[in-house]
Amino acid sequence: MSEFFLELFTEEMPPALQKSAKEDLLQIFKDFLNQKNIAYHKINFSISTPNRLIIYFKSIQKEFSKKSEEIRGPRTNLDKASVEGFLKSKNITKKNIYIKNTKKGEFYFYKTPSINIKTKEVLKENIPLLLQKIKWKKSMRWAYHNLFWGRPLKSMMCLFDGSHLKYNFFHLKSSNKTFINKNDESKTVTFKNFASYKNYFSKFGIIVDDNERKLIIKKNIDKISKLKNFSSNINLKLLDEVANIVEKPKVILCTFDKKFLQIPNEIVKLTIEYHQKYFPVTDNRGNLLNYFFSVADKEDKFGFIKKGNEKVVTARLSDAEYFWKKNKSQSMLKRVSKLEKVNYFNGLGNYLDKTKRIKNLSSIISDELLISKEKVELASTICKVDLMSDLVKEFPEMQGVLGGYFAESQGFEKEVCLAISEHYLPSGLNSRIPKNDFSIALSLSDKIDTLVGFFGLNLVPSSSKDPYALRRLTIGLIKLIIENKKIFKLKELIDHSCQLYKNVSTKFDSKLVQKNLSIFIIERFKNYMKEKGIRQDIIESSSIDCDLNKIFIIFTKANKLNKVIEKQIGMDLIENYKRASNILNLEINLKEGDYIGSADPALFKNNFEKDLYKKIHDIRKDFTNINLENDYEGQLSLLASAKKEVVSFFDNVIVNDNDEIIKKNRLELLKMLCNTFDKYFNLKKVEFLNEKTSI
Amino acid sequence: MVSKKNKKLITFQDTILNLQKYWSKNGCLVLQPYDIEVGAGTFHPATTLRSLGKEKWKAAYVQPSRRPSDGRYGENPNRLQHYYQFQVIIKPSPENIKKLFLDSLSSIGIDQNIHDIRFIEDDWESPTLGAAGLGWEVWCDGMEIAQFTYFQQMAGIQCNPVSVELTYGLERICMFVQDKASVYDLIWNLDGVLYKDIFKENEKQFSKYNFEFADIQNLFDTFNGLEKEAKNLLINRLPLPAYDQSLKASHVFNILDSRGAISIAQRAGYIARIRDLVKEVGEKWLEEKN
Repeated sequence: MSEFFLELFTEEMPPALQKSAKEDLLQIFKDFLNQKNIAYHKINFSISTPNRLIIYFKSIQKEFSKKSEEIRGPRTNLDKASVEGFLKSKNITKKNIYIKNTKKGEFYFYKTPSINIKTKEVLKENIPLLLQKIKWKKSMRWAYHNLFWGRPLKSMMCLFDGSHLKYNFFHLKSSNKTFINKNDESKTVTFKNFASYKNYFSKFGIIVDDNERKLIIKKNIDKISKLKNFSSNINLKLLDEVANIVEKPKVILCTFDKKFLQIPNEIVKLTIEYHQKYFPVTDNRGNLLNYFFSVADKEDKFGFIKKGNEKVVTARLSDAEYFWKKNKSQSMLKRVSKLEKVNYFNGLGNYLDKTKRIKNLSSIISDELLISKEKVELASTICKVDLMSDLVKEFPEMQGVLGGYFAESQGFEKEVCLAISEHYLPSGLNSRIPKNDFSIALSLSDKIDTLVGFFGLNLVPSSSKDPYALRRLTIGLIKLIIENKKIFKLKELIDHSCQLYKNVSTKFDSKLVQKNLSIFIIERFKNYMKEKGIRQDIIESSSIDCDLNKIFIIFTKANKLNKVIEKQIGMDLIENYKRASNILNLEINLKEGDYIGSADPALFKNNFEKDLYKKIHDIRKDFTNINLENDYEGQLSLLASAKKEVVSFFDNVIVNDNDEIIKKNRLELLKMLCNTFDKYFNLKKVEFLNEKTSI
Repeated sequence: MVSKKNKKLITFQDTILNLQKYWSKNGCLVLQPYDIEVGAGTFHPATTLRSLGKEKWKAAYVQPSRRPSDGRYGENPNRLQHYYQFQVIIKPSPENIKKLFLDSLSSIGIDQNIHDIRFIEDDWESPTLGAAGLGWEVWCDGMEIAQFTYFQQMAGIQCNPVSVELTYGLERICMFVQDKASVYDLIWNLDGVLYKDIFKENEKQFSKYNFEFADIQNLFDTFNGLEKEAKNLLINRLPLPAYDQSLKASHVFNILDSRGAISIAQRAGYIARIRDLVKEVGEKWLEEKN
């Protein structure tokens, strides 16, 4: 067994490219070895620094045997030339071949001997091909070279079994040495194995393993945080990124002037975290402090790095402070009319138009939520004003949030400010969902207006492209409704929103918008249910004739059913339904319309029919019980409780009576049973996994 | 031992001179700024046009750069509507360009042994020039001091061979080296002339012009006129003067933008109009040269 070790040295590779390239390449190597049936030790990994991408296999089979293979030659009835051609192509003589009869006729065959192959040779030949298999999200060329790589590839050190594995790749040759200094490609050092390589660099403080670097950074931040009583929470995504932009991490605690804590904290955080890639610091209650951690790539011997880092943050925060002071006092109400000059989208009017539409919609929603109409309208009116501020131009991702701050500093009521602040939420996969009714009203109306507008222009997302992020917006809308347990007349709101667009020059086909948009929303709704772990057949069944106004109820019902479906009660109720519906499907076929689900008790011939009939009536009566209205588990138990009557019916009654009238009446009784289940929802597509056909 | 206080002061003009000397020594032509208002050193034809085609090219120059919307009436210590870039363009990109660049920093007072120099991903794109490149912002102790870009495309044309472009933010670098918190306090020469003595009034007046007084209608008309002229020049196979018109149009657009006269929806349209001109300039330039 032999150690395999490859180092690809590049100019600074961005963290995201590093990560995907190293994962990609390791998999490519493993797939290759698997495919060639070359065994390797389970210790194998890929690690990186900004300049070095390392693929490591602790041990790979040194030699492997290629099994003997039977190769079919020409037919025996062909002329001599074709046989000779075959012999020549395989470099063999007539002694090596034999005749065999197959289904397709008689052929010459050749059995290759099993041979031992040196892994080294196979790697040599294949590494250049494997390297080209990396899928780069972005790649580039440099100088005259034709190679595309994430960043300029400068050297490849490749070792197998302690010695140099030679291959060529574009303009480059592999070697057994690498550059010591990432910034100086004149000095190199030769290596024989991974251990000495790793040791060599760690002597200079260079940690070639990104996982180790992450731990070091975390440990050092924790140590200082503990000493200083800071919260130990740090942004782990940032940690990932930072660990991949340094090779010898040194954590430095920096400070800035306390006065900057007066600026909206989100901006301070964004500046420190996003722009500078430093770690903001909070106390144990989550309050932002005037400290941050930076991670330098070398020892800060003279304190220059700390000073420089602090200076940059101060400069950036001064800039933000300047705008904050300027923008917070600009009257939002007075600036509303200026929104007329800000175009929203070609064909959908300007932001003043949008503001008016949002106001109109949220006013209706306020009636549904029974909250103050005046406040909702006020929040709607000023919610887009922050788009004209310098601060939002500087920090576009802070739209809304900054509007909330401006409103707060201008003395608007708390709920108004909060609604403005939260009206873009939920915005992403893990985004917070507004809980306050005013925020919900504003967020919902903004989203409906956007969706209707873009669907009106027929800018509908395709399967691969969604340039206006309408999918994300729709998922936000669904989460907003369901996770707040709200029942909105979504359908009517969409209708109304279409009407509001009548004032804009565009000619909307309202009917088409409503149709396409509800299909789109229902598709996303089904996806949402899937993410929540609901079984596909339940999702399909629950969304038959899906009513947009009831998505919260439908979701809850599907969720409850999903929870019990594999328990006794679930199995009982599905069995009840399925036994009846199976026979109906068989007997009724196309004449479904003839059956209305109303049996005539006078035609019953035995007690089993009567019992079932009575049970159905009891269930139906119980469904109208006010206590059961929102008790979906209760409803499910109720439906399951018919099991005794259903079983007795099927055990003792033959539906297929000779008398057509009796038969029809029995089918009507079963139809009646099925229709009762529709009070929950149509169970047509739910599968009964232990189904025993019982007709 | 020399104490830090006596460390030789590197003035703003020395910084320029040192860079010119350094790159001259390394084989670059030292050119002068282009005499038209541009947003960055990249717009100088020595970069845009010379990065096209097969010939080797090595040049370095200072380029005054104008970004009307960055004006702050002389009140912000870090932002200017007019500032200087030092630009190096080399085709093809040398193998040792990173080392060359780092050594150039030492020549202007940035010692990479004590400062944290980092290459942070920055994929550059100029929609106006139809240009794109991959590279980095170069950070020194957390501050961006330069950009380092391998051009992949220019004027809509794939670059082959690939050029490398280095852009130094001269004010930023000097603020760092001279340890100043405000750009206006930079020391320009050894007689003690300061940046503010030369440029403070300019910033005030031009901010007023850019944000308040620029005549919008006149500028829109000018833009149309320049575009018309550029097209006419292109028809007559004069890409160089046509390029000048495109640069002027680009600056007019920037002023209109800082005046808030261009809506988000219109923006893309204006940028596309300039890009279309530049693309044709690039094509015609290659044709005429051959």
